[in-house]
Amino acid sequence: MNSKAEKIKAASIDPAYYQAVTDSIRLAAVKLLEAGSVSAVIGYLPGRRTGTASPAVVTDPEQAAKLIFSPACVNNLSLYLTKAKKGVLKKGRIAIVAKGCDMRALAGLIGESQIKRDDLVIIGVACAGVYGRCSDRPARLDEESIARKCRECSVHLPEGADLVLGTLPELPEPDPSEARELARIEAMTAAERWAFWKEHFSRCIRCLACRQVCPFCYCEQCLCDKNRPQAVEQSPRPAGNTAWHLVRAMHLAGRCGGCAECERVCPMDIPLNLLNRRMAKELKELYDYEAGLVPQEKGPLNQYKEDDDQSFIK
Amino acid sequence: MPQIITEENLRKLVDLLVKEKKLVVGPKKSGSMVLYEPLGTGSELNLDTLPRRSSKELYFPVCEEILRFRKEGGVVQVDDVDRSRFPETVLIGAPPCDAASPSILDAVFSWDYHDEFYLERRKKGTIIGIACTKCDDACFCSAVGLAPDAQQGSDLFLTPLKGGGFSCSAVTEKGEKLVAAHAPLFSEAASAEPVEFPAQGMEKLDLVMIKQWLSGHFEDPLWESISDICIGCGACAFICPACHCFDINDEGSPDNGVRRKHWDACGFSKFTNHASGHNPRDVQNKRYRNRIMHKFKYYDDKFGKTLCTGCGRCVRACPVGIDIAEILNTINGK
Repeated sequence: MNSKAEKIKAASIDPAYYQAVTDSIRLAAVKLLEAGSVSAVIGYLPGRRTGTASPAVVTDPEQAAKLIFSPACVNNLSLYLTKAKKGVLKKGRIAIVAKGCDMRALAGLIGESQIKRDDLVIIGVACAGVYGRCSDRPARLDEESIARKCRECSVHLPEGADLVLGTLPELPEPDPSEARELARIEAMTAAERWAFWKEHFSRCIRCLACRQVCPFCYCEQCLCDKNRPQAVEQSPRPAGNTAWHLVRAMHLAGRCGGCAECERVCPMDIPLNLLNRRMAKELKELYDYEAGLVPQEKGPLNQYKEDDDQSFIK
Repeated sequence: MPQIITEENLRKLVDLLVKEKKLVVGPKKSGSMVLYEPLGTGSELNLDTLPRRSSKELYFPVCEEILRFRKEGGVVQVDDVDRSRFPETVLIGAPPCDAASPSILDAVFSWDYHDEFYLERRKKGTIIGIACTKCDDACFCSAVGLAPDAQQGSDLFLTPLKGGGFSCSAVTEKGEKLVAAHAPLFSEAASAEPVEFPAQGMEKLDLVMIKQWLSGHFEDPLWESISDICIGCGACAFICPACHCFDINDEGSPDNGVRRKHWDACGFSKFTNHASGHNPRDVQNKRYRNRIMHKFKYYDDKFGKTLCTGCGRCVRACPVGIDIAEILNTINGK
């Protein structure tokens, strides 16, 4: 074994930890459903293929006993609580499995009055990390297969959940590849940066997976679907694609919780979270604001204050 | 005696076709992916990875202009696209799940309305298919009636040989002509033993039985149970070799604009939204039902073909892990 392989082995996460979390989720979900405290549990069920999982809205205890937590539990399930997914949820209190990073979306949606905290039972999981966009899905989550967002995770233990399940195993310290990539792009000249994004946006096919998977893209009428008058070109061409991705980034600024689902689901590998992250940085610099774990009524771009910086008006 | 071509000569063939001013498209590294893109030289041909998007875009592009309009002094001038300028195209290196796609789509594009854009490209296109030696747990071409060495849709079909190189079968006249025009690159071999094809994990589906079940179960609890989690994006449809729905949009200004045809997907909530605001497919599971019905019932009703080649792209790309192969298995077992 060469030294790189040895390092990777040392930096992998014991699958026994995921099994322990799985067992606790099953216990909790079955108990909640049996007691009638919730009408449904949103969690993850295993997929047909090894190392895959799917979101699931589970309503009976028998199904709840099949819920899992594994490195394949990548989805941010808070998506299913929004009005964009109307018709999915039954009435009543809902329990939802949430990783630390998913808590930001829940806090944001509560802040934006989309969901009520009292209607939720949040089953937090102590999360060691999930897969990134890897195709081989190894049984042990390692340096190669861990998601970019998990490499810089600061919320392994969810805050504000009703219960937190599992005990964190020893965590590896993977290379913060996204931070490095962002720094590399920020160091580019404007022309180089334009070329970088132009190439990425040219491949966009407007499947809108980025929009559909985003917990904050719950608008009933998306600006980008309007055609009388047309605000953004709907045909997948470089100009309209660029406009779409900039509109998306701007509309999420100060709201995006950084779950990076948009980037994960992009079939054309566009690194969308770099845009989200850059916008978050702008918000921090301009307004000392961070989309956080505590519900906040309004973000800085959704409100007006007398003392707002107006130096940009010339 | 079987005809063979070495890998070196296959790449030379690309070079020659490029020199002949043909548009040669094949799997090529593009950023972090492999996509079907125009090849500048044979060395760019990548035969190791299934391209992320299917090769349908050669005949049915992501987006294309269908006319231009201008209004001057109250007079509207409409300019058609000159389709005679579409180039002669050779698609090279498409595995059976992609090569078969036009042979399925020809039916709908030449049905009551003849889509001149699609048909002109088809007329000028030659497909060099290649037997597929790799499969993963999402592949299911054999389950829907194709196979890793199915020649359906190919004009010339290559099969990788154990000792390297490929045996070639000219499936159509186009394929024969292509071989004849580049005869020095091909040779005859006494024997040609093909490589072994990996077995796929899925049993062959009974498509007749699946269709029968679909015919009687437009309303069924299955639809909700499998597709309530669908988020309504178009990833599955857009990367599919067989999905062919499109939208038409006028873009630009009312006085000077372009009419464009571009991919559409039944997963989108506005897919069948009427001008009145009424939508017959008002919730996601009805839209997902349409995906299955169209592929395994409606298209067969109309054209006697299944609208799926089992490439597995939608299985790999679905943001929420909806697995069409598993759904078909479930229906097959009913």
